[in-house]
Amino acid sequence: MGKSNEARHGEAMAVSTPMDAEQAWKDLQRIRVPQERVYDEFERSVSGGRGMTYGMAALMWVFLAGVGMDLPQWGVGLFVAAYVGLLSVLVVMSSRRSRMQLHHTRCPGRMWAAFGAAAVLVGGTIVLSDHLTEPLEPIYAGPIQATAAVAVYLLSLGPANRWAADSVRSGGEPAADEEAGR
Amino acid sequence: MSTPVGFDELIHPSTRLSVVALLATTEWADFAFIRDSLSLSDSALSKQLHTLEEAGYLEIHKEGGGRKRRTKVRLTDRGRTAFEGHVAALRAIVEGAGPAATPGPPADDAPTTAATGAAQPQHPAETGR
Repeated sequence: MGKSNEARHGEAMAVSTPMDAEQAWKDLQRIRVPQERVYDEFERSVSGGRGMTYGMAALMWVFLAGVGMDLPQWGVGLFVAAYVGLLSVLVVMSSRRSRMQLHHTRCPGRMWAAFGAAAVLVGGTIVLSDHLTEPLEPIYAGPIQATAAVAVYLLSLGPANRWAADSVRSGGEPAADEEAGR
Repeated sequence: MSTPVGFDELIHPSTRLSVVALLATTEWADFAFIRDSLSLSDSALSKQLHTLEEAGYLEIHKEGGGRKRRTKVRLTDRGRTAFEGHVAALRAIVEGAGPAATPGPPADDAPTTAATGAAQPQHPAETGR
C-alpha cells in the first residue's frame, strides 16, 4: 500500500528480461495485431452509419431547398442556424457512439484530401445547378439544386470514405514518412 | 545479450504490449473496445490498465452514469514516449542480430513501420505462406 508509483515502476525495471532477436521480431509482429483492430474499427465507423449518412443528406436537402427559395435575410439566417444546430446534434450523437478515435498522426493527408475533394464537388454542383436553374421559378429551382447536390454528396461519399479508410490502413504513409524523417 | 536503451520492462509483457500498441494508434479508446479487440476479460484488462496507470503511462476517464457509463482510456505522452522507445529498442535488437538471424526485410524498415502501424514486414516464416 505504501509503495509509491515510482518505486513500483523501479521494481519492474529492475527485472531483466533476456531478449533475443527472434523474440524481438515476434514482439514487433505482435504490435501489428491490435493496431489492425483499430483500423478495422475506423473502417467500420467510416463506411457504416447509414442513418448518419441519410440523416445528413436529408438535412442538406431541406437546407438547400429552403435557402434556394429566395427567402428574406432573416429566413436564411434562421435556416442556417437550424441547419448548423441539427448538424451538430448528429455529429455529437455519432461521436458518442464511437468506440475510439484514431490518433491524429495516423490521419494521412490523403484522408483530408478525399473529404476536401468531396466538399468541392458538392459546392461545385450547387453553383452549377444554381446557374442552370436561374430561369426557373425559385419554388422549382431550390428543390432541383438541393436534389442535385445531395445526389452528388451521396455518390461521392462512398468512394471518398473508402479511399480515406484505405489510406489509413496502408499505414498512412505520410505519417510513417514523417516519423522516419525525425 | 545486453538490453538496449529504451527497452521498457513494464511494457514488455505481451498483454501490456498489445494494450499500449492499440492505444498508441488512438487518441482514446473505450474500455470495451480494448477488451474486445484483445480478447481479454474485464478483470484481466482492468489489472493491466491499473498497472500502466500507476506508472503514468495512461489515463482512465469514467464518463456518464448508470447503464450509459463508459470508460475511456488514453495513452499519456510519457506512455507514448515509452512505447516508441521500446519499439526502437526491439528494432535495435533485431538489427543487432544481423541479417543472418533475421533474414527478412531490410532491418530498418520493419520496426519503423511497426512503430507507425504501417508494418508489413515479411519474416521468412511468413513469406513461405
